[in-house]
Amino acid sequence: MKTKRTFIPVFTLSVALLLTACNGKEAADTKKTQTTQTESGTEAVTGSVAESETETAGASGTKLDDLYQQENQIFADHADVWNKVFGMMNKSTADPSGNYGDYLADTVEANKDSFSEDELNTLTDDIATIRKIEEQIAEMENGNTASEDSNAKNDSEEASPFRDFSGQDYDGNTVDESLFSKNAVTVVNFWFTGCKPCVAELSKLNELNDAIKSMGGEVVGINTETFDGNQDAIKEAAAVLESQGAKYRNLSIDSASAAGKYASDIMAFPTTILVDRNGNIVGEPMLGGIDNQENYDTLMKQIQSVIDADSAK
Amino acid sequence: MDKKKKLRSKKIAGIRGWIQAAATLLTNPHIPNFFQGKIYQGKAKTVCVPGLNCYSCPAATGACPIGAFQAVVGSSKFKFSYYITGFLILLGVTLGRFICGFLCPFGWFQDLLHKIPGKKFSTARLKPLRYLKYIILAVFVILLPMFATNSIGMGDPFFCKYICPQGVLEGAIPLSIGNAAIRSALGKLFSFKFGILITVVVLSILFYRPFCKWICPLGAIYSLFNKVSFLHITIENSKCVGCNQCSRACKMDIDVCRTPNHPECIRCGACIKACPKDAIHYQFLGKTCQKKDTGDQQSEIRNH
Repeated sequence: MKTKRTFIPVFTLSVALLLTACNGKEAADTKKTQTTQTESGTEAVTGSVAESETETAGASGTKLDDLYQQENQIFADHADVWNKVFGMMNKSTADPSGNYGDYLADTVEANKDSFSEDELNTLTDDIATIRKIEEQIAEMENGNTASEDSNAKNDSEEASPFRDFSGQDYDGNTVDESLFSKNAVTVVNFWFTGCKPCVAELSKLNELNDAIKSMGGEVVGINTETFDGNQDAIKEAAAVLESQGAKYRNLSIDSASAAGKYASDIMAFPTTILVDRNGNIVGEPMLGGIDNQENYDTLMKQIQSVIDADSAK
Repeated sequence: MDKKKKLRSKKIAGIRGWIQAAATLLTNPHIPNFFQGKIYQGKAKTVCVPGLNCYSCPAATGACPIGAFQAVVGSSKFKFSYYITGFLILLGVTLGRFICGFLCPFGWFQDLLHKIPGKKFSTARLKPLRYLKYIILAVFVILLPMFATNSIGMGDPFFCKYICPQGVLEGAIPLSIGNAAIRSALGKLFSFKFGILITVVVLSILFYRPFCKWICPLGAIYSLFNKVSFLHITIENSKCVGCNQCSRACKMDIDVCRTPNHPECIRCGACIKACPKDAIHYQFLGKTCQKKDTGDQQSEIRNH
């Protein structure tokens, strides 16, 4: 009895500690995804160990912090005149996607008369420096989508399972990685025939395919039951696709291929990812069907940004 | 303390907590998956475990019979899940609700919660709620997945999707902690089911096993077999003195003397432990789980 009585509080305590530990981990995780959104794309691909992830996340995180610190230092150095500028700012005109330096320049330009010549000179110099820092930040945040950095490119080359791609459509035509290079963005939807939420979004995916065709995008379905050219499964999948009016391409891939392994690691269906022209996965995989309008809008926004990044090159 | 060792039934009832822990660990051995935010997807997942143990628990090695049943009934390919029904009948006939008392992880979870000190309430007056679980079994596990289907005959696993707190505890919470993509997909449904889990947790602290008594469709299935299962509880009338200690010890509100194999009995053995005359014991296929060493026992009784 005595052992039991001591066991209970000890157990309760350890459970409580466990739970707090979990909380800590969650907080750390959220932070990680915020700082390295682009990296998490490859993170899911390689399924790499947690330590290496946090390491890279930490490194780029401190670098970003550094850059922001430099900006703040500039503001601090000429605090008098900058405070004057900040007082004139109009929140509604702020464009979060644009360069912060441009925004500052606009504000100064609009209120030119309120500054002396000396002040204007300081401001223009500072703005030029800030613009450069902002460019560096943007590059880091955009990662493999826009970055010209050869290092980043090499990383994604290793990680992306869609670099060397091969598959067959349901009519037996072979497809390779040129599937991706033809379009600015390819929406790859992973599903299986017995998955109700997957089937529920098929018609919406077909709509999406029609909508993004003219923008340089394509929707491609990969049914995990149809791996290795399984004819029975292909027939079933084709029948389901037809019943839902889905006419976009569906592919059967090799389960042993990199893409096949990537698909086998997916645990929640439907999962939809975006692949750019070079076969790199962009952003984070989206879980859940796009028959939910919120998901559709989110996906559409991501598609748009990939297309924008592509045309910017 | 010494006396307990004389009877195998008492011994079994005495180490119930450890058996529950072992069963939970055996059906959930893939612990590292918790940290990677993924689930085990190997061949063992095609087999059901006896207890209510979510398929989506990162560590789970098998499938929950209730989840599997709904998945098969709700798929367009099958009309009824014969394999899982057969599996449940087999387990029901051999062990009955012994599974609830000894093997189910969610039962263990509620047992542990009930050990948290504080005021405890009896559920004796809430007996009619027991029938709720049969309604849940019929409606959410069988009828809705079978008939509330889309154009090509696919149904939702209604119980898993809208009710099961074990799915939130074992599946949704650990997966969303370990997996950013899943975390971002959490929505209203998660909040709703998280509310159910919290309610069950609070009720489990105040009452003994409220989920098993009122909600659990798996317990409802096994309860149908309690009267005929190989594992029984028997009372030796020659030893029983009618003191009613057993019924007072029973946390499932059963009159043990009259109905030792009541559908609500989870075979926890509280009555066996409570019986001053050692008149109650487990029996498997007619063999009592009693030590054959009767001489020793008699001397024990004489000592009293």
